[in-house]
Amino acid sequence: MQWFIYVLNGLYFTAFIFLISLGLNIILGVMGILNLAHGSLYAIGAFMAAWVIITLSGLKGVPVPLLYISLISGALLAGFVGLIIERVLIRPMYGRALEYQLLITFGALLLFEDLIKLVWGGEAYYASQPFDILGKIQILGNAYPLYFLLVILVTLIVGSAVWVFITKTKMGIMLRALSLDREMATALGLEIDKLSTIAFVLGAALAGLAGSLIAPTTPVLLGFGMEPLILAFIVVVIGGLGSLKGAFIGSVIVGQIRSIGIVVFPEIELAILFLIAAVILVVKPEGLFGR
Amino acid sequence: MILSVEKLEKQFGSLKAIDGVSFGIREREIVSLIGSNGAGKTTLVNLISGYLKPTAGRIFFGGKDITYASPFKRIKLGIGRSFQIVHLFEEATVLDNVRTPLFARYGRIKSILWSADSYVDITREAIGILKLFNLYDKKDSPAKELSEGEKKILDVAMAFALKPKLLLLDEPTSGVATHDKFSVMNTIVSAIRKEGISALIIEHDMDIVSNYSDNVLVIHEGRIMAEGKPEDVMQNKEVRETILGIQ
Repeated sequence: MQWFIYVLNGLYFTAFIFLISLGLNIILGVMGILNLAHGSLYAIGAFMAAWVIITLSGLKGVPVPLLYISLISGALLAGFVGLIIERVLIRPMYGRALEYQLLITFGALLLFEDLIKLVWGGEAYYASQPFDILGKIQILGNAYPLYFLLVILVTLIVGSAVWVFITKTKMGIMLRALSLDREMATALGLEIDKLSTIAFVLGAALAGLAGSLIAPTTPVLLGFGMEPLILAFIVVVIGGLGSLKGAFIGSVIVGQIRSIGIVVFPEIELAILFLIAAVILVVKPEGLFGR
Repeated sequence: MILSVEKLEKQFGSLKAIDGVSFGIREREIVSLIGSNGAGKTTLVNLISGYLKPTAGRIFFGGKDITYASPFKRIKLGIGRSFQIVHLFEEATVLDNVRTPLFARYGRIKSILWSADSYVDITREAIGILKLFNLYDKKDSPAKELSEGEKKILDVAMAFALKPKLLLLDEPTSGVATHDKFSVMNTIVSAIRKEGISALIIEHDMDIVSNYSDNVLVIHEGRIMAEGKPEDVMQNKEVRETILGIQ
Protein backbone atom coordinates (compact mmCIF):
# COMPACT_ATOMS: atom_id res chain seq x y z
CA MET A 1 0.00 0.00 0.00
CA GLN A 2 3.05 2.22 -0.32
CA TRP A 3 1.57 3.56 -3.57
CA PHE A 4 -1.23 5.21 -1.61
CA ILE A 5 1.33 7.22 0.32
CA TYR A 6 2.89 8.30 -2.99
CA VAL A 7 -0.54 9.46 -4.13
CA LEU A 8 -1.04 11.39 -0.90
CA ASN A 9 2.41 12.94 -1.24
CA GLY A 10 1.48 13.83 -4.81
CA LEU A 11 -1.68 15.52 -3.56
CA TYR A 12 0.38 17.44 -1.03
CA PHE A 13 2.77 18.65 -3.78
CA THR A 14 -0.30 19.37 -5.90
CA ALA A 15 -1.79 21.48 -3.13
CA PHE A 16 1.02 23.95 -2.67
CA ILE A 17 1.93 24.09 -6.38
CA PHE A 18 -1.75 24.72 -7.14
CA LEU A 19 -1.88 27.70 -4.79
CA ILE A 20 1.23 29.27 -6.34
CA SER A 21 0.25 28.58 -9.94
CA LEU A 22 -3.33 29.75 -9.33
CA GLY A 23 -1.95 33.10 -8.21
CA LEU A 24 0.43 33.26 -11.15
CA ASN A 25 -2.38 32.30 -13.51
CA ILE A 26 -4.77 34.96 -12.17
CA ILE A 27 -2.12 37.68 -12.55
CA LEU A 28 -1.10 36.49 -16.01
CA GLY A 29 -4.68 35.95 -17.16
CA VAL A 30 -6.25 39.15 -15.88
CA MET A 31 -3.33 41.55 -16.28
CA GLY A 32 -1.22 39.93 -18.98
CA ILE A 33 1.78 40.32 -16.67
CA LEU A 34 4.32 37.52 -16.46
CA ASN A 35 5.35 38.06 -12.86
CA LEU A 36 8.86 36.72 -12.31
CA ALA A 37 8.72 38.07 -8.75
CA HIS A 38 5.92 35.61 -7.93
CA GLY A 39 8.41 33.24 -6.30
CA SER A 40 9.57 36.11 -4.07
CA LEU A 41 6.00 36.60 -2.86
CA TYR A 42 5.92 32.89 -1.99
CA ALA A 43 9.22 33.29 -0.13
CA ILE A 44 8.00 36.39 1.71
CA GLY A 45 4.92 34.41 2.84
CA ALA A 46 7.15 31.57 4.06
CA PHE A 47 9.57 33.86 5.94
CA MET A 48 6.75 35.84 7.54
CA ALA A 49 4.86 32.73 8.68
CA ALA A 50 8.07 31.11 9.96
CA TRP A 51 9.02 34.24 11.88
CA VAL A 52 5.54 34.58 13.43
CA ILE A 53 5.43 30.89 14.39
CA ILE A 54 8.90 31.00 15.97
CA THR A 55 8.03 34.23 17.82
CA LEU A 56 4.70 32.89 19.10
CA SER A 57 6.25 29.57 20.10
CA GLY A 58 8.79 31.46 22.22
CA LEU A 59 6.01 33.13 24.23
CA LYS A 60 4.32 31.50 27.19
CA GLY A 61 0.63 30.62 27.18
CA VAL A 62 0.06 31.03 23.44
CA PRO A 63 -2.90 28.82 22.49
CA VAL A 64 -2.01 26.14 19.91
CA PRO A 65 -4.76 27.11 17.42
CA LEU A 66 -3.12 30.55 17.18
CA LEU A 67 -0.06 28.91 15.65
CA TYR A 68 -2.21 27.64 12.80
CA ILE A 69 -4.15 30.88 12.43
CA SER A 70 -0.82 32.71 12.27
CA LEU A 71 -0.15 30.93 8.96
CA ILE A 72 -2.43 33.55 7.42
CA SER A 73 0.19 36.20 8.23
CA GLY A 74 2.30 35.14 5.23
CA ALA A 75 -0.66 35.53 2.87
CA LEU A 76 -1.50 38.95 4.33
CA LEU A 77 2.05 40.27 4.03
CA ALA A 78 2.48 38.88 0.50
CA GLY A 79 -0.84 40.48 -0.48
CA PHE A 80 0.30 43.81 0.93
CA VAL A 81 3.67 43.57 -0.83
CA GLY A 82 1.76 42.64 -4.00
CA LEU A 83 -0.28 45.84 -3.62
CA ILE A 84 2.91 47.91 -3.48
CA ILE A 85 4.52 46.06 -6.40
CA GLU A 86 1.43 46.59 -8.54
CA ARG A 87 1.09 50.27 -7.72
CA VAL A 88 4.76 51.20 -7.93
CA LEU A 89 6.35 48.83 -10.42
CA ILE A 90 3.70 47.15 -12.55
CA ARG A 91 1.21 49.95 -13.21
CA PRO A 92 3.64 52.10 -15.24
CA MET A 93 4.32 49.01 -17.39
CA TYR A 94 0.74 48.54 -18.66
CA GLY A 95 0.59 48.70 -22.41
CA ARG A 96 4.35 48.40 -22.76
CA ALA A 97 6.17 45.55 -24.44
CA LEU A 98 6.58 42.23 -22.64
CA GLU A 99 10.35 42.78 -22.28
CA TYR A 100 9.73 45.74 -19.97
CA GLN A 101 7.42 43.68 -17.76
CA LEU A 102 9.94 40.85 -17.63
CA LEU A 103 12.76 43.23 -16.79
CA ILE A 104 10.83 45.02 -14.06
CA THR A 105 9.54 41.83 -12.43
CA PHE A 106 13.00 40.22 -12.70
CA GLY A 107 14.41 43.34 -11.04
CA ALA A 108 11.78 42.98 -8.31
CA LEU A 109 12.82 39.35 -7.80
CA LEU A 110 16.45 40.40 -7.20
CA LEU A 111 15.37 43.30 -5.02
CA PHE A 112 13.20 41.09 -2.82
CA GLU A 113 15.99 38.56 -2.37
CA ASP A 114 18.06 41.34 -0.82
CA LEU A 115 15.12 42.75 1.14
CA ILE A 116 14.37 39.31 2.61
CA LYS A 117 18.02 39.05 3.64
CA LEU A 118 17.86 42.54 5.14
CA VAL A 119 14.66 41.87 7.13
CA TRP A 120 15.08 38.24 8.16
CA GLY A 121 18.84 37.77 7.87
CA GLY A 122 20.69 35.09 5.97
CA GLU A 123 20.00 32.15 8.30
CA ALA A 124 17.47 29.41 7.77
CA TYR A 125 14.23 29.54 9.77
CA TYR A 126 12.93 26.33 11.32
CA ALA A 127 9.26 26.68 12.26
CA SER A 128 8.13 23.08 12.49
CA GLN A 129 5.88 23.47 15.53
CA PRO A 130 2.55 23.30 13.63
CA PHE A 131 3.87 20.21 11.83
CA ASP A 132 5.17 18.53 15.01
CA ILE A 133 2.08 19.24 17.14
CA LEU A 134 -0.24 17.46 14.71
CA GLY A 135 2.00 14.39 14.57
CA LYS A 136 1.28 11.41 12.34
CA ILE A 137 -1.65 9.14 11.69
CA GLN A 138 -1.70 5.56 10.47
CA ILE A 139 -2.95 5.17 6.92
CA LEU A 140 -3.02 1.60 5.56
CA GLY A 141 -0.18 0.63 7.84
CA ASN A 142 1.93 3.70 7.09
CA ALA A 143 2.53 6.65 9.39
CA TYR A 144 1.60 9.82 7.54
CA PRO A 145 2.01 13.46 8.74
CA LEU A 146 -1.37 14.93 9.57
CA TYR A 147 -0.07 18.38 8.65
CA PHE A 148 0.18 17.31 4.99
CA LEU A 149 -3.51 16.40 5.06
CA LEU A 150 -4.26 19.79 6.63
CA VAL A 151 -2.45 21.51 3.74
CA ILE A 152 -4.49 19.49 1.23
CA LEU A 153 -7.71 20.39 3.07
CA VAL A 154 -6.85 24.11 3.29
CA THR A 155 -5.99 24.14 -0.42
CA LEU A 156 -9.30 22.47 -1.29
CA ILE A 157 -11.16 25.11 0.72
CA VAL A 158 -9.16 28.04 -0.70
CA GLY A 159 -9.34 26.67 -4.27
CA SER A 160 -13.12 26.25 -3.98
CA ALA A 161 -13.47 29.74 -2.53
CA VAL A 162 -11.46 31.22 -5.42
CA TRP A 163 -13.60 29.27 -7.90
CA VAL A 164 -16.81 30.61 -6.32
CA PHE A 165 -15.30 34.11 -6.24
CA ILE A 166 -14.31 34.03 -9.92
CA THR A 167 -17.48 32.43 -11.27
CA LYS A 168 -20.26 33.61 -8.98
CA THR A 169 -19.47 37.06 -7.65
CA LYS A 170 -19.86 40.41 -9.34
CA MET A 171 -16.16 41.10 -8.92
CA GLY A 172 -15.20 37.69 -10.28
CA ILE A 173 -17.35 38.18 -13.37
CA MET A 174 -15.60 41.50 -14.03
CA LEU A 175 -12.16 39.96 -13.46
CA ARG A 176 -13.03 37.15 -15.84
CA ALA A 177 -14.27 39.66 -18.40
CA LEU A 178 -10.98 41.54 -18.15
CA SER A 179 -9.08 38.29 -18.54
CA LEU A 180 -11.14 37.20 -21.57
CA ASP A 181 -11.01 40.47 -23.52
CA ARG A 182 -9.19 43.50 -22.18
CA GLU A 183 -10.17 45.75 -25.10
CA MET A 184 -13.88 45.03 -24.68
CA ALA A 185 -13.61 45.41 -20.91
CA THR A 186 -12.11 48.86 -21.50
CA ALA A 187 -14.82 49.74 -24.00
CA LEU A 188 -17.47 48.78 -21.44
CA GLY A 189 -16.07 51.11 -18.82
CA LEU A 190 -14.73 48.53 -16.35
CA GLU A 191 -12.37 50.02 -13.79
CA ILE A 192 -9.32 48.33 -15.23
CA ASP A 193 -6.79 49.77 -12.75
CA LYS A 194 -8.74 48.68 -9.69
CA LEU A 195 -9.50 45.26 -11.10
CA SER A 196 -5.82 44.79 -11.93
CA THR A 197 -4.84 45.73 -8.40
CA ILE A 198 -7.34 43.24 -6.97
CA ALA A 199 -6.07 40.48 -9.28
CA PHE A 200 -2.44 41.16 -8.36
CA VAL A 201 -3.14 41.28 -4.61
CA LEU A 202 -5.18 38.07 -4.81
CA GLY A 203 -2.44 36.32 -6.80
CA ALA A 204 0.25 37.56 -4.42
CA ALA A 205 -1.75 36.47 -1.35
CA LEU A 206 -2.20 32.98 -2.82
CA ALA A 207 1.57 32.72 -3.36
CA GLY A 208 2.13 33.96 0.19
CA LEU A 209 -0.37 31.42 1.56
CA ALA A 210 1.47 28.62 -0.25
CA GLY A 211 4.73 29.83 1.33
CA SER A 212 3.07 30.01 4.77
CA LEU A 213 1.71 26.49 4.53
CA ILE A 214 5.04 25.02 3.44
CA ALA A 215 7.07 26.87 6.10
CA PRO A 216 6.45 24.35 8.95
CA THR A 217 7.61 21.44 6.76
CA THR A 218 11.03 22.63 5.63
CA PRO A 219 13.79 25.08 6.56
CA VAL A 220 12.97 28.50 5.11
CA LEU A 221 16.08 29.99 3.58
CA LEU A 222 17.25 32.45 0.94
CA GLY A 223 16.39 31.53 -2.67
CA PHE A 224 13.31 29.74 -1.32
CA GLY A 225 11.02 30.96 -4.11
CA MET A 226 12.96 29.90 -7.18
CA GLU A 227 11.97 26.24 -7.58
CA PRO A 228 8.25 26.81 -6.87
CA LEU A 229 8.28 29.62 -9.44
CA ILE A 230 9.65 27.25 -12.08
CA LEU A 231 7.10 24.58 -11.14
CA ALA A 232 4.30 27.15 -11.31
CA PHE A 233 5.40 28.13 -14.82
CA ILE A 234 5.37 24.46 -15.82
CA VAL A 235 1.82 24.18 -14.43
CA VAL A 236 0.69 27.24 -16.43
CA VAL A 237 2.28 25.82 -19.59
CA ILE A 238 0.61 22.42 -19.06
CA GLY A 239 -2.77 23.62 -17.81
CA GLY A 240 -3.09 26.72 -19.95
CA LEU A 241 -3.42 30.41 -19.37
CA GLY A 242 -6.44 31.83 -17.59
CA SER A 243 -8.04 28.54 -16.66
CA LEU A 244 -8.71 27.51 -13.07
CA LYS A 245 -9.32 23.98 -14.26
CA GLY A 246 -6.04 24.09 -16.14
CA ALA A 247 -4.18 25.28 -13.04
CA PHE A 248 -5.71 22.43 -11.05
CA ILE A 249 -5.09 19.65 -13.58
CA GLY A 250 -1.59 21.01 -14.31
CA SER A 251 -0.84 20.96 -10.58
CA VAL A 252 -2.13 17.40 -10.23
CA ILE A 253 0.12 16.28 -13.11
CA VAL A 254 3.16 18.09 -11.73
CA GLY A 255 2.45 17.02 -8.14
CA GLN A 256 1.96 13.34 -8.92
CA ILE A 257 4.92 13.11 -11.29
CA ARG A 258 7.12 14.78 -8.68
CA SER A 259 5.89 12.43 -5.97
CA ILE A 260 6.52 9.32 -8.04
CA GLY A 261 9.64 10.79 -9.65
CA ILE A 262 11.36 11.47 -6.33
CA VAL A 263 11.10 7.75 -5.53
CA VAL A 264 11.42 6.06 -8.91
CA PHE A 265 13.62 8.36 -11.01
CA PRO A 266 14.96 11.10 -8.71
CA GLU A 267 17.80 12.11 -11.09
CA ILE A 268 15.45 13.14 -13.89
CA GLU A 269 12.31 14.09 -11.98
CA LEU A 270 12.47 17.79 -12.93
CA ALA A 271 13.68 16.97 -16.44
CA ILE A 272 10.55 14.87 -17.03
CA LEU A 273 8.36 17.81 -16.04
CA PHE A 274 10.25 20.10 -18.42
CA LEU A 275 9.89 17.48 -21.15
CA ILE A 276 6.11 17.31 -20.65
CA ALA A 277 5.92 21.12 -20.72
CA ALA A 278 8.02 21.20 -23.91
CA VAL A 279 5.81 18.58 -25.61
CA ILE A 280 2.67 20.54 -24.68
CA LEU A 281 4.22 23.76 -25.97
CA VAL A 282 4.82 22.05 -29.32
CA VAL A 283 1.57 20.07 -29.59
CA LYS A 284 -0.89 22.40 -27.82
CA PRO A 285 0.78 25.77 -27.16
CA GLU A 286 -2.29 27.16 -25.40
CA GLY A 287 -2.06 24.37 -22.79
CA LEU A 288 -4.56 21.62 -22.02
CA PHE A 289 -7.34 23.99 -20.97
CA GLY A 290 -6.05 27.39 -22.09
CA ARG A 291 -7.62 29.84 -24.49
CA MET B 1 -26.93 68.28 -31.42
CA ILE B 2 -25.82 65.41 -29.21
CA LEU B 3 -22.47 65.23 -31.05
CA SER B 4 -20.62 68.01 -32.84
CA VAL B 5 -17.34 67.43 -34.62
CA GLU B 6 -15.50 70.55 -35.74
CA LYS B 7 -12.62 70.65 -38.21
CA LEU B 8 -11.23 67.39 -36.89
CA GLU B 9 -7.81 66.26 -38.11
CA LYS B 10 -5.73 63.18 -37.47
CA GLN B 11 -2.27 62.76 -38.89
CA PHE B 12 -0.31 59.48 -38.86
CA GLY B 13 3.22 60.46 -39.88
CA SER B 14 2.87 62.00 -43.33
CA LEU B 15 -0.64 60.57 -43.82
CA LYS B 16 -3.62 62.77 -43.01
CA ALA B 17 -6.21 60.12 -42.16
CA ILE B 18 -8.85 62.68 -41.14
CA ASP B 19 -8.66 66.07 -42.79
CA GLY B 20 -10.88 68.86 -41.48
CA VAL B 21 -14.02 66.81 -40.84
CA SER B 22 -17.06 68.62 -39.42
CA PHE B 23 -20.51 67.17 -38.86
CA GLY B 24 -23.18 66.76 -36.19
CA ILE B 25 -25.59 64.10 -34.96
CA ARG B 26 -28.94 65.06 -33.48
CA GLU B 27 -30.69 63.29 -30.64
CA ARG B 28 -32.43 60.07 -31.71
CA GLU B 29 -30.81 60.30 -35.13
CA ILE B 30 -29.21 57.29 -36.83
CA VAL B 31 -26.39 58.28 -39.15
CA SER B 32 -24.56 55.87 -41.41
CA LEU B 33 -20.92 56.48 -42.18
CA ILE B 34 -19.89 55.11 -45.55
CA GLY B 35 -16.72 55.24 -47.59
CA SER B 36 -14.22 53.03 -49.34
CA ASN B 37 -11.60 51.04 -47.44
CA GLY B 38 -9.01 53.31 -45.87
CA ALA B 39 -11.24 56.37 -46.19
CA GLY B 40 -10.95 57.09 -42.45
CA LYS B 41 -14.23 55.67 -41.09
CA THR B 42 -12.80 53.63 -38.23
CA THR B 43 -10.26 56.38 -37.45
CA LEU B 44 -13.16 58.82 -37.09
CA VAL B 45 -15.02 56.45 -34.74
CA ASN B 46 -11.82 55.91 -32.74
CA LEU B 47 -11.42 59.69 -32.40
CA ILE B 48 -15.00 60.09 -31.19
CA SER B 49 -14.71 57.21 -28.71
CA GLY B 50 -11.37 58.48 -27.42
CA TYR B 51 -9.19 55.59 -28.61
CA LEU B 52 -7.24 58.12 -30.70
CA LYS B 53 -6.43 61.74 -29.95
CA PRO B 54 -6.88 64.24 -32.79
CA THR B 55 -4.09 66.33 -34.24
CA ALA B 56 -6.45 69.32 -34.47
CA GLY B 57 -10.15 70.20 -34.17
CA ARG B 58 -12.73 69.76 -31.43
CA ILE B 59 -15.35 67.18 -30.44
CA PHE B 60 -18.36 68.22 -28.38
CA PHE B 61 -20.75 65.75 -26.77
CA GLY B 62 -23.91 67.04 -25.15
CA GLY B 63 -22.35 70.50 -25.29
CA LYS B 64 -19.18 69.40 -23.44
CA ASP B 65 -15.76 69.54 -25.03
CA ILE B 66 -14.53 65.93 -24.96
CA THR B 67 -11.70 66.32 -27.48
CA TYR B 68 -9.06 65.00 -25.08
CA ALA B 69 -11.25 63.07 -22.63
CA SER B 70 -10.28 59.43 -21.96
CA PRO B 71 -12.40 56.59 -23.39
CA PHE B 72 -13.50 55.80 -19.82
CA LYS B 73 -14.74 59.37 -19.31
CA ARG B 74 -16.60 59.27 -22.63
CA ILE B 75 -18.29 55.99 -21.69
CA LYS B 76 -19.45 57.58 -18.43
CA LEU B 77 -20.75 60.58 -20.38
CA GLY B 78 -22.79 58.26 -22.60
CA ILE B 79 -20.79 57.17 -25.64
CA GLY B 80 -20.90 53.42 -26.23
CA ARG B 81 -19.22 51.55 -29.03
CA SER B 82 -18.92 48.17 -30.65
CA PHE B 83 -16.02 46.93 -32.74
CA GLN B 84 -15.73 45.72 -36.32
CA ILE B 85 -14.45 42.40 -35.03
CA VAL B 86 -16.84 41.13 -32.38
CA HIS B 87 -15.45 41.34 -28.87
CA LEU B 88 -17.33 39.08 -26.48
CA PHE B 89 -16.41 37.35 -23.29
CA GLU B 90 -16.63 34.07 -25.16
CA GLU B 91 -16.37 31.66 -22.23
CA ALA B 92 -18.91 33.54 -20.12
CA THR B 93 -22.67 33.11 -20.45
CA VAL B 94 -24.72 35.49 -22.58
CA LEU B 95 -26.30 36.81 -19.37
CA ASP B 96 -22.92 37.53 -17.78
CA ASN B 97 -21.78 39.26 -20.97
CA VAL B 98 -24.61 41.76 -20.51
CA ARG B 99 -24.32 41.93 -16.73
CA THR B 100 -20.64 42.94 -16.99
CA PRO B 101 -21.28 46.40 -18.49
CA LEU B 102 -24.19 46.82 -16.09
CA PHE B 103 -21.87 46.13 -13.16
CA ALA B 104 -19.46 48.68 -14.61
CA ARG B 105 -22.26 51.19 -15.12
CA TYR B 106 -23.85 50.81 -11.73
CA GLY B 107 -21.15 50.91 -9.40
CA ARG B 108 -17.75 51.45 -8.40
CA ILE B 109 -16.02 48.44 -6.93
CA LYS B 110 -17.26 48.14 -3.39
CA SER B 111 -18.53 44.73 -2.53
CA ILE B 112 -15.91 42.19 -3.47
CA LEU B 113 -17.58 39.05 -2.25
CA TRP B 114 -21.21 39.60 -3.14
CA SER B 115 -22.77 37.03 -5.40
CA ALA B 116 -23.58 38.33 -8.88
CA ASP B 117 -27.08 36.91 -8.54
CA SER B 118 -27.69 39.00 -5.43
CA TYR B 119 -27.75 42.09 -7.65
CA VAL B 120 -31.37 41.38 -8.52
CA ASP B 121 -32.04 44.72 -10.24
CA ILE B 122 -29.00 44.32 -12.49
CA THR B 123 -29.94 40.76 -13.42
CA ARG B 124 -33.50 41.92 -14.14
CA GLU B 125 -32.23 44.75 -16.33
CA ALA B 126 -29.85 42.38 -18.15
CA ILE B 127 -32.74 40.03 -18.86
CA GLY B 128 -34.79 42.96 -20.14
CA ILE B 129 -31.99 43.87 -22.55
CA LEU B 130 -31.66 40.27 -23.71
CA LYS B 131 -35.40 40.18 -24.39
CA LEU B 132 -35.17 43.46 -26.30
CA PHE B 133 -32.41 41.99 -28.45
CA ASN B 134 -34.13 38.60 -28.84
CA LEU B 135 -31.38 36.75 -26.97
CA TYR B 136 -33.28 35.77 -23.83
CA ASP B 137 -33.52 32.11 -24.84
CA LYS B 138 -29.72 31.94 -25.03
CA LYS B 139 -29.04 33.64 -21.71
CA ASP B 140 -27.38 30.62 -20.10
CA SER B 141 -25.33 29.58 -23.14
CA PRO B 142 -21.66 30.50 -23.38
CA ALA B 143 -21.29 33.38 -25.82
CA LYS B 144 -18.99 31.28 -28.00
CA GLU B 145 -21.93 29.02 -28.90
CA LEU B 146 -23.94 31.83 -30.55
CA SER B 147 -24.24 32.19 -34.32
CA GLU B 148 -22.29 35.03 -35.97
CA GLY B 149 -25.45 37.13 -36.25
CA GLU B 150 -26.33 36.55 -32.59
CA LYS B 151 -22.77 37.44 -31.58
CA LYS B 152 -23.07 40.75 -33.43
CA ILE B 153 -26.39 41.43 -31.69
CA LEU B 154 -24.91 40.55 -28.28
CA ASP B 155 -21.93 42.81 -28.99
CA VAL B 156 -24.32 45.72 -29.57
CA ALA B 157 -26.50 44.71 -26.60
CA MET B 158 -23.43 44.99 -24.35
CA ALA B 159 -22.71 48.51 -25.57
CA PHE B 160 -26.44 49.22 -25.22
CA ALA B 161 -26.33 48.08 -21.57
CA LEU B 162 -24.15 51.09 -20.79
CA LYS B 163 -27.29 53.13 -21.51
CA PRO B 164 -25.45 55.35 -23.95
CA LYS B 165 -26.85 58.49 -25.49
CA LEU B 166 -24.76 57.79 -28.58
CA LEU B 167 -23.81 54.38 -29.96
CA LEU B 168 -20.90 53.99 -32.35
CA LEU B 169 -21.29 50.74 -34.29
CA ASP B 170 -18.44 49.59 -36.51
CA GLU B 171 -19.90 47.40 -39.27
CA PRO B 172 -22.58 45.61 -37.22
CA THR B 173 -23.36 43.22 -40.08
CA SER B 174 -19.85 42.32 -41.22
CA GLY B 175 -19.31 38.58 -41.12
CA VAL B 176 -23.07 37.95 -40.90
CA ALA B 177 -24.64 35.74 -43.60
CA THR B 178 -26.42 37.84 -46.24
CA HIS B 179 -29.84 36.39 -45.42
CA ASP B 180 -29.39 37.27 -41.73
CA LYS B 181 -28.23 40.87 -42.18
CA PHE B 182 -31.66 42.46 -42.18
CA SER B 183 -32.82 40.40 -39.23
CA VAL B 184 -29.73 41.48 -37.26
CA MET B 185 -30.24 45.14 -38.21
CA ASN B 186 -33.98 44.96 -37.45
CA THR B 187 -33.19 43.77 -33.93
CA ILE B 188 -30.44 46.33 -33.33
CA VAL B 189 -32.21 49.33 -34.83
CA SER B 190 -35.58 48.62 -33.22
CA ALA B 191 -33.86 48.53 -29.80
CA ILE B 192 -32.00 51.76 -30.57
CA ARG B 193 -35.19 53.47 -31.77
CA LYS B 194 -37.18 52.24 -28.80
CA GLU B 195 -34.70 53.76 -26.34
CA GLY B 196 -34.27 56.95 -28.36
CA ILE B 197 -30.51 56.53 -28.71
CA SER B 198 -28.48 58.31 -31.38
CA ALA B 199 -26.18 56.14 -33.46
CA LEU B 200 -23.30 56.45 -35.88
CA ILE B 201 -23.03 53.24 -37.87
CA ILE B 202 -20.18 52.33 -40.18
CA GLU B 203 -21.73 50.22 -42.91
CA HIS B 204 -20.84 49.00 -46.40
CA ASP B 205 -24.14 47.47 -47.44
CA MET B 206 -26.09 50.22 -49.21
CA ASP B 207 -29.42 48.42 -48.81
CA ILE B 208 -28.93 48.52 -45.06
CA VAL B 209 -27.80 52.15 -45.20
CA SER B 210 -30.94 53.10 -47.15
CA ASN B 211 -33.29 51.18 -44.90
CA TYR B 212 -32.06 52.11 -41.47
CA SER B 213 -30.43 55.56 -41.62
CA ASP B 214 -31.90 59.00 -41.10
CA ASN B 215 -28.79 60.53 -42.59
CA VAL B 216 -25.69 59.40 -44.39
CA LEU B 217 -22.18 60.75 -44.10
CA VAL B 218 -19.80 59.92 -46.94
CA ILE B 219 -16.11 60.06 -46.17
CA HIS B 220 -13.36 59.85 -48.78
CA GLU B 221 -9.63 60.24 -48.25
CA GLY B 222 -10.25 61.67 -44.79
CA ARG B 223 -12.74 64.31 -45.92
CA ILE B 224 -16.52 64.54 -45.95
CA MET B 225 -17.54 64.06 -49.57
CA ALA B 226 -21.30 64.31 -49.02
CA GLU B 227 -23.97 64.18 -46.36
CA GLY B 228 -27.73 64.14 -46.26
CA LYS B 229 -30.74 61.87 -46.56
CA PRO B 230 -29.91 58.40 -47.92
CA GLU B 231 -31.88 58.93 -51.13
CA ASP B 232 -30.15 62.26 -51.79
CA VAL B 233 -26.69 60.93 -51.11
CA MET B 234 -27.31 57.96 -53.42
CA GLN B 235 -28.07 60.42 -56.21
CA ASN B 236 -24.89 62.42 -55.66
CA LYS B 237 -22.81 61.99 -58.82
CA GLU B 238 -19.46 62.05 -57.05
CA VAL B 239 -20.62 59.49 -54.48
CA ARG B 240 -22.05 57.22 -57.16
CA GLU B 241 -18.85 57.28 -59.16
CA THR B 242 -16.26 57.20 -56.38
CA ILE B 243 -17.89 55.20 -53.59
CA LEU B 244 -20.64 53.13 -55.17
CA GLY B 245 -18.84 52.48 -58.47
CA ILE B 246 -21.92 53.39 -60.52
CA GLN B 247 -21.44 55.46 -63.67
